[in-house]
Amino acid sequence: MTIKLSPSRSVPSIAAPGTRSRRGGAAARRDGIWPWVFVLPLLAGVGLFYIWPILQTAYFSFTTWGVFGGATWSGLNNYLRLLADPQLYTALANTLIYTGIVLLGVPLAVWLASLINTPGLRFASFYRVLFFLPYVAMPTAVALVWRIIFNGDFGILNHALSIFGIRGPFWISTPGFALVAVAVVGLWSSLGFAMIILGAGLKNIPPELYEASELDGASRARQFRSVTVPLLTPSIFFVLIITIISSFQLFDLLYALLGSKNPVMPKTMSLVFYFYSQGFVSNDKGYAAAIAMFIFLLIGIVTVWQFRLQRRWVNND
Amino acid sequence: MTSTATGISAVRNRALVRTKRSRGRRGGSHVLVHIVLGLGGLLMAFPFIWQIIMSLSTNAEVQSVVPTFWPAQLQWQNYAAVFDRLPFLSQLGTSVLVTTIRTLAQIILCTMAGYAFARMRFFGRTVLLAIVLSILLVPSQVYLISQYQIVQSFGWLNTLMGIVAPGLFSAFGTFLMRTAFLNMPAELEEAARIDGASPLQTFWSIMLPLARPSISVLAITTVLWSWNELLWPLVVSTYANAMPLSAGLATLASDVTVNYPVLMAASLMAMAPVLIMFIALQRRVIDGLASSGLK
Amino acid sequence: MQILSSGGRATRRRLLLGFMGVLGTAALVAGCSANSGSSTTTASSSYTAPDKNLSANITYALWDQTQKKAIDANIVEFNKAYPKIKVNVDVTPWTDYWTKLQTEASSNTLPDLFWLNGPNFQLYASNGKVEPITSVVKAGAIDPANYPKALDALYTLNGVEYGVPKDFDTIGLWYNKDLFQKAGVSVPTSSWTWADFNTAASTISQKLSKDGIYGAVAGMDGQTTYYNTIFQAGGSVLASDGKKSGYDSAATQKGIQFWTDLIASKGSPTMQQLTDTAADQWFVSGKAAMYWGGDWARSEIAASPIASSVNVAPLPAGEKKATVIHGVSNVVAAAGKHKQAAQALQVFLASKKAQQQQGDMGAIIPAFNGTQAAFAKSLPGVDLQVFLDELVYAQPLPTSKNTAAWNAFEAALLPDAFSGSKPVAATLKDLATQMNGALAKE
Repeated sequence: MTIKLSPSRSVPSIAAPGTRSRRGGAAARRDGIWPWVFVLPLLAGVGLFYIWPILQTAYFSFTTWGVFGGATWSGLNNYLRLLADPQLYTALANTLIYTGIVLLGVPLAVWLASLINTPGLRFASFYRVLFFLPYVAMPTAVALVWRIIFNGDFGILNHALSIFGIRGPFWISTPGFALVAVAVVGLWSSLGFAMIILGAGLKNIPPELYEASELDGASRARQFRSVTVPLLTPSIFFVLIITIISSFQLFDLLYALLGSKNPVMPKTMSLVFYFYSQGFVSNDKGYAAAIAMFIFLLIGIVTVWQFRLQRRWVNND
Repeated sequence: MTSTATGISAVRNRALVRTKRSRGRRGGSHVLVHIVLGLGGLLMAFPFIWQIIMSLSTNAEVQSVVPTFWPAQLQWQNYAAVFDRLPFLSQLGTSVLVTTIRTLAQIILCTMAGYAFARMRFFGRTVLLAIVLSILLVPSQVYLISQYQIVQSFGWLNTLMGIVAPGLFSAFGTFLMRTAFLNMPAELEEAARIDGASPLQTFWSIMLPLARPSISVLAITTVLWSWNELLWPLVVSTYANAMPLSAGLATLASDVTVNYPVLMAASLMAMAPVLIMFIALQRRVIDGLASSGLK
Repeated sequence: MQILSSGGRATRRRLLLGFMGVLGTAALVAGCSANSGSSTTTASSSYTAPDKNLSANITYALWDQTQKKAIDANIVEFNKAYPKIKVNVDVTPWTDYWTKLQTEASSNTLPDLFWLNGPNFQLYASNGKVEPITSVVKAGAIDPANYPKALDALYTLNGVEYGVPKDFDTIGLWYNKDLFQKAGVSVPTSSWTWADFNTAASTISQKLSKDGIYGAVAGMDGQTTYYNTIFQAGGSVLASDGKKSGYDSAATQKGIQFWTDLIASKGSPTMQQLTDTAADQWFVSGKAAMYWGGDWARSEIAASPIASSVNVAPLPAGEKKATVIHGVSNVVAAAGKHKQAAQALQVFLASKKAQQQQGDMGAIIPAFNGTQAAFAKSLPGVDLQVFLDELVYAQPLPTSKNTAAWNAFEAALLPDAFSGSKPVAATLKDLATQMNGALAKE
């Protein structure tokens, strides 16, 4: 059977980015001065506080910048040095791996959000609070708890593994495992956010569709695949975009969980960590600006590519 | 099925009826769901349970190489110690003020801009949207020195304005609200226009109420972000009383020998208001999403 | 809306505003940033103590919350002499402190008076961000002879002194008497050599291994561990002219090898174990018998369950005896709006009276000669005098104009040498090359 999807789109959904308005009304005309009334207050602030700094950074990336100012033009030097810098590629690979692992949380969040939104489920609010907790957490405090959990000699994680006869590694001090540990915590803390967005999206799926598929004898698993997921694609896309962008910005968590003096840091650092250590620790601000522009372009390309790709899988009407 | 407003409310009404019905029918058959969510929830909450335990331990117990699972004696004075070390109440006040201003500003500015980007036609729309979104792609530390100099040139160092200013504008919020408006039925808007409503009236009395679920999500994320923000307030203010709680807490962690239990107690205390707000709003914000969507 | 008091350092440059309309013209950006360059370095008009009625609001920035109480007490005293100078104490946590300071320095809004440490001093001094104390010394308000010589040197650049220390730290060998007794090993003495230390460490590890106890803990921090052994071996981290790395010398290599051997002999936990659980934690939870730590470890140890069984000895001798010394200095911002008031506070905080008060109240060793008695007696049964006696052979923490740049190389390369996964000699050769590259850029 085919489920007729079109009516559902008339119910407001929380997220469906990048869609071309298929509703004729807006497309035909221009709205004169009004759009500017709506947009200018935001644009003014964004231009002043964000775009201007980005332009400055773009300029600094072509200079050798003294610690406290005083830039001298150095052309493409920073970029040439950057492309030959092995640390850049390590940081890039780490950032990609981290992002990959954290993205596993998206399907998990879809599944969990749909479970929590099971009609008539008792204690649903309670569960929601539990899953929301990590999202409210203060990173410095919670990182300490995780350090204790991951401790190689005495941590509970390895204690639990030893019950199954597995000798756990030194999670936060072995290259490779350290990145996995950071990603697990990253996934843990971002799950709550994804579930809020997805939960709101789920609420907007008209129950008729479930009813109809139930009448057709579809199982719960089948319903999940043929009703829930397709109708949730706009929200899923939104969560994907935001998760990827924020994963590419990995810094605080890495810093708090591993500690800046951790010997595995050179092998585990993220792009933003590399930017920070060059700019604010080693005082090489021009070079740091080049790293920042690299990050900017990289995420930009990935995001644009995602927007293109979404036309194929996001269900827009 | 039609896509008109009446069609929608018909769908909605049947949905409500159905939810009530299913509650009665399926109430008891969720054992598996409870097991999954219960175990998952426990995993999610575990670090906090530990945090609570640690906040009631001595520093030696927390620092002990072999973890202490339960303190020999509950150290409630760790919570009192927070008040000794921080101007807790005045920092709490700043946090509330800063967070409220930013949340309100973002709701207004992002909703308006998001609406225009989604539903209006104007010159350079796509380019402007891309520019706004591009600010999400840059590490936040990049903005630090430039933003500081801008705030300084306005004479806003050490003022509430200085702490609040860059956070009044959000690309994330604009993106969120744009996607919300994109998916709303055009018919309502058209009807309003035919009735002679100005774009502002249409926005205010028709579209805004429809966007309430997304506005709630925006409010939650802004509150959380603003509440936990650390570096910016530390850099633009030099007066302890005028800093928000997040910045105050960080100074606790700066002691040469960190007193971990007090830090844990303080961070739990700082989390509490946001958590209480979430629980209180949960019914309205999340459970209420479905029904508040259309009125 | 509540407008917070705006302090004394609101410069109102309306630079950026005019530029906003024009997007990203390189020349304009350059014009903007050039403005924040260095200002007065040498213009040191002679200092005279300000009038009693001088009225000013100044900010004093620091990073250690635990010292705030003693500093507040200092300021109460200061206000008896200058009742109209209001001092706002701004505490910023360690990591954010430096980010904040850099941001302020780039905008010429540095706090009127602020803490600076050795590794960052030359960076700020060479860029003209800090006011020399030459005029204050000339006026007789501060006499550098009253403070440990090694620390005066730390805050001197090209013959110009910019500050005197407010406190100092040396490193000692903390040990746990009970664990020594349990293992039947005699406790450290002031005549210990490296060999004595190594034998004791591996013996204790061996005898108490079933309890998971180690004889000693290595560390990853230069100041408390390997800088000391490098100096003891007669090596150097930085050549005396400050322009070349010392890591390629044979003596320096011995100082690094010391820790590699200690870990290899199982006298210390492995590098991984030390990353998961910091050195001081091993010691205060009774899992390690010896710990190279600064005097600042005192308060943590005193509050730990092993407090009653702890004592401290001087560091063991290699080729010679040595310890690293470091201390924080109060410096005045060169571009400050209330320099005279800031200098008055700087002078007061350097005085015997203020430092005595610090020593009596705080957990620090004050730098002014003869004010340290209170510290030495602050832990009954523990010979804290050791930290003061070590002054004789103390060597300053190695620093250059951009210390952080080569500190990063140390942190990246040395762990592999300590853990034995890469040969010490080859690692140090790499390190010296990279460090020389960084030094050349200064």
